[in-house]
Amino acid sequence: MVALVVVSTFVVLVLGVLVAGLLRSHADILRSLHELGVGVGDPASAVEGSGRPAAPAPAPAPVSMGPSAASPSLGEAPTVAGVTPAGDARAVAMANSDRFTLLGFLSSGCATCGAFWEALQAPRAMDLPDGTRVVIVTKGPDREVPAEVGARTTGRIPVVMSTDAWVDYQVPGSPFFVLVDGVTGRKVGQGVASTVPQLAELVRRAELDREPGTARRRPDPVSVDGPAREAAADDVLRAAGIHPGDPSLYPRTLDDVFPFGTPTATPPGPANGLPVRTD
Amino acid sequence: MATIGAHGIVARLPEGFEGRIFVRPSSLGSTYPVAQFATFPLPDDIGDFGSGAVNLMGSEDVFATLFEYGPESLGTALFARQGRPETFSPQDFSPIVLRRGLVGQSGTQWFFTEAGRPFSFYAVLGSHVLRDRLVPRVNMLLASLALSPALAAGTAPAPRWN
Repeated sequence: MVALVVVSTFVVLVLGVLVAGLLRSHADILRSLHELGVGVGDPASAVEGSGRPAAPAPAPAPVSMGPSAASPSLGEAPTVAGVTPAGDARAVAMANSDRFTLLGFLSSGCATCGAFWEALQAPRAMDLPDGTRVVIVTKGPDREVPAEVGARTTGRIPVVMSTDAWVDYQVPGSPFFVLVDGVTGRKVGQGVASTVPQLAELVRRAELDREPGTARRRPDPVSVDGPAREAAADDVLRAAGIHPGDPSLYPRTLDDVFPFGTPTATPPGPANGLPVRTD
Repeated sequence: MATIGAHGIVARLPEGFEGRIFVRPSSLGSTYPVAQFATFPLPDDIGDFGSGAVNLMGSEDVFATLFEYGPESLGTALFARQGRPETFSPQDFSPIVLRRGLVGQSGTQWFFTEAGRPFSFYAVLGSHVLRDRLVPRVNMLLASLALSPALAAGTAPAPRWN
């Protein structure tokens, strides 16, 4: 009898711990959904008198984008790697510029994504801060039809198909946007926006909130062509001990030019059936 | 560390690199795979050997392109070297190798055959002065590449119903 009571008590305790864990997990999920603006299970969204939760609002709620003190860093932004609708490979790194990168997670079949597909591929018209890089990310070919994605792309900005990126960035659904600071490689804002102007305003605000002096300056290289290039080449040759009149400047045989032997084909070029090349 | 692969070229991109592996439309003529890598944002509309990109480089940046030539180049003297160079040394880089001369930059270009495919590997350093620091990054990229034999025409699986 005593043994039965002990076993029963133990079972009740274990079940109690399990129930407590489940309740806590449920609360965490509800809290996360609330932070994303979905509000499932939020009593505030219940229809008065019906006792049932209201349907989700048709327009997604905007989420602030900005690296201000009120919006601490959201963590590292991993490289987005995948394929293009044409079947090529593409990887976009996040920590390699002094500007923002705006990632737009879109779907080909999402009705509310239509305006963003058009706007993001014409970033100048969106009046984003100078140099803002825009990248569209769809799910990979396992979840999207490449031809449908390809039909929406203009080739002006990178479009990467990558389910892994959606997982890495914990994208809850489309459309969804992430703003990354290229100097730190960290996310400075993420969320949804109802309209294109609203999204652009959030990015502009993030630029204004950026701490001054965080941008790296990339010097503009000066082009050297014509006489200047010839002079630069002469300097390098002189530094290597090759002066005007040096025999190496006047090859007598092809062996002087081709150490592996005489070529059997004419130099590469499209006219020879070799691939088209754009320098 | 991101990995991308297409057209028989796979790259496990070292930290800070981005890249793309593509084939230009065949409407342009005979086209073969091109792989481009950079430590700065790589525009989509640049030339195969970096025109339109190298002018965006900072002094600590690296750009590289792996360009495949057609099968008619196999066996020619230019592609006689079997396999890519294992590593580069700072002495392999020179300002006069640049396809587009930009003050301060330097480059290197090598032709070779690997996996039965003729390639050219061309790399540009943002600063010749910093080559001791930048060349190891090029070497890391070079070591991350895996090249496999090209699929012969007609060997692709035929489409079929599931």
